[in-house]
Amino acid sequence: MSATARTAPAGNIYDLGYRHYEGKRHGRWYAVWSLYVEGMRGVWGFGRPMTAKAAPFILTGLYALPALIQLAFSSIISQSIASGEASTRDIATYSDYFAAASFFMVLFLVAQAPELVCRDQRYHVLPLYFTRALGRADYALARLAALTTAVFMALMVPMIALFIGDILMKPDTLKAIGDEWPRALPSIPASALGALSLSSIALALSSFSPRRAYAAIGLVAYFLLMGIVPDVIFQVGRHAGWDWADKLMTLNPTGAISAAADWFSGTPLVTTGREGGLPATLGADAYVLAVVVSIVVFTAVLLFRYRRMPA
Amino acid sequence: MGATDFVTHMARISGLPRTAARERTAEVLRHVGLYEERYRQIGGYSTGMKQRVKLAQALVHDPKVLLLDEPTNGLDPAGRDEMLDLIKRTGTDFGITVVVASHLLGEIEQVGTYLVAIDAGRLLSAAPITTYTARTPVLAVEVEEGSDRLAASLTDHGFKARLDGDCVLVAMEDERLYDAIRDTVADLALPLIRIQQERGRLEDLFRDGAPTVGAPAEGSVQ
Repeated sequence: MSATARTAPAGNIYDLGYRHYEGKRHGRWYAVWSLYVEGMRGVWGFGRPMTAKAAPFILTGLYALPALIQLAFSSIISQSIASGEASTRDIATYSDYFAAASFFMVLFLVAQAPELVCRDQRYHVLPLYFTRALGRADYALARLAALTTAVFMALMVPMIALFIGDILMKPDTLKAIGDEWPRALPSIPASALGALSLSSIALALSSFSPRRAYAAIGLVAYFLLMGIVPDVIFQVGRHAGWDWADKLMTLNPTGAISAAADWFSGTPLVTTGREGGLPATLGADAYVLAVVVSIVVFTAVLLFRYRRMPA
Repeated sequence: MGATDFVTHMARISGLPRTAARERTAEVLRHVGLYEERYRQIGGYSTGMKQRVKLAQALVHDPKVLLLDEPTNGLDPAGRDEMLDLIKRTGTDFGITVVVASHLLGEIEQVGTYLVAIDAGRLLSAAPITTYTARTPVLAVEVEEGSDRLAASLTDHGFKARLDGDCVLVAMEDERLYDAIRDTVADLALPLIRIQQERGRLEDLFRDGAPTVGAPAEGSVQ
């Protein structure tokens, strides 16, 4: 066909004719970055209607609520600790916070992980990506990075609230920052590891269904079963004398992440041995290893899924 | 997600910087005929509007070649015509080579300049479309009744005539043909409707069993 641009167009008076693009074109990494940014906006619902923002923000708020309450009442708490009515053990700390509030973080993943990967399959957007500079692995990793960043941000909200609350409890603010900083710092790598672990599980499982509802059901089922089944087997195994049953406890993603947080902060694991407690035979490092292995496994599953997916 | 956001995003995936992506998106959406509605959610669009958005995302990074597979699928007649017009303009005004895969030969005839006909994986022929649709040395004479008598009479006069429904197709080999037809129709007192030089049609490619490359199909049109 002719290569003549800007010939007299047949259209209406608004038509200025087609203009060719002569400007700069970026390559593959720019495409990956663009997809990452779009994924972040998607998780938080930016550039989308208010209904899309509701779930992530409300769930993050609920997840952070205990810490925010502690922050709001920090002066009262510090008074009661000083007067001996309450002990420092009663207030939430950086390392045990996730274990207490993880339910809302799981809901966050159930709501937002399918959002990232299911629509693209359902509405056949993937072929449009793969005909551009973006590869299949690039797509999967950009999505994983976006969800990990979002989950990390959500995990850090209560950590920051706890940090501010702990500082406000002390009379000397500047000295408190200096004292508190080393205790707060391990929550950053712990949150990062937890975010990566949760995101890799959620994305890998979600990518198997083009429908968000099914993906969400699958995620709920996975997190529920992994919270219950290993525990049941472990409890039965204690009475039956199965010495391998304690290792199953590392399969619970939220349990393993909160135990890993203890490893980062150096607090000893609560292995009281009572019903429902963690097995005394496993140290915190076993859970860190389990989390790392789960990240590797689920990222591999995610990459494998996108390699095989018909686009 | 609105059409603007989507096309801008696709432009960036194609490597266009942020501002360029926005500008090109606005232009391209106007070219494909999406105006105020481009800020609405794509989920609420009609099939035709969705097709336009898809065309826009394919054009936004100013490609050299555009591949379209059944671009008018699922469109109503009006939307179909608009889409065909758009495809035609993409080729002629925008200077972008467009490859359309379609089984609707009428559409191909409308927008195309070059045709590659493939039937069941076999190449039938490949040539500029004008060669398929050029005038053929055949006159079609349509009469309301008595076409069989007309054909017989013309054959008697030494012309190669054959019957095709209410039409009589006569090979144009002779200057005297028009006069002969006039006289014959007058003699037989037949109600004449039209006399027209036949044009080739793309459908002919797929007629008469399975033609091979350069065989009956080309023989009958050139």
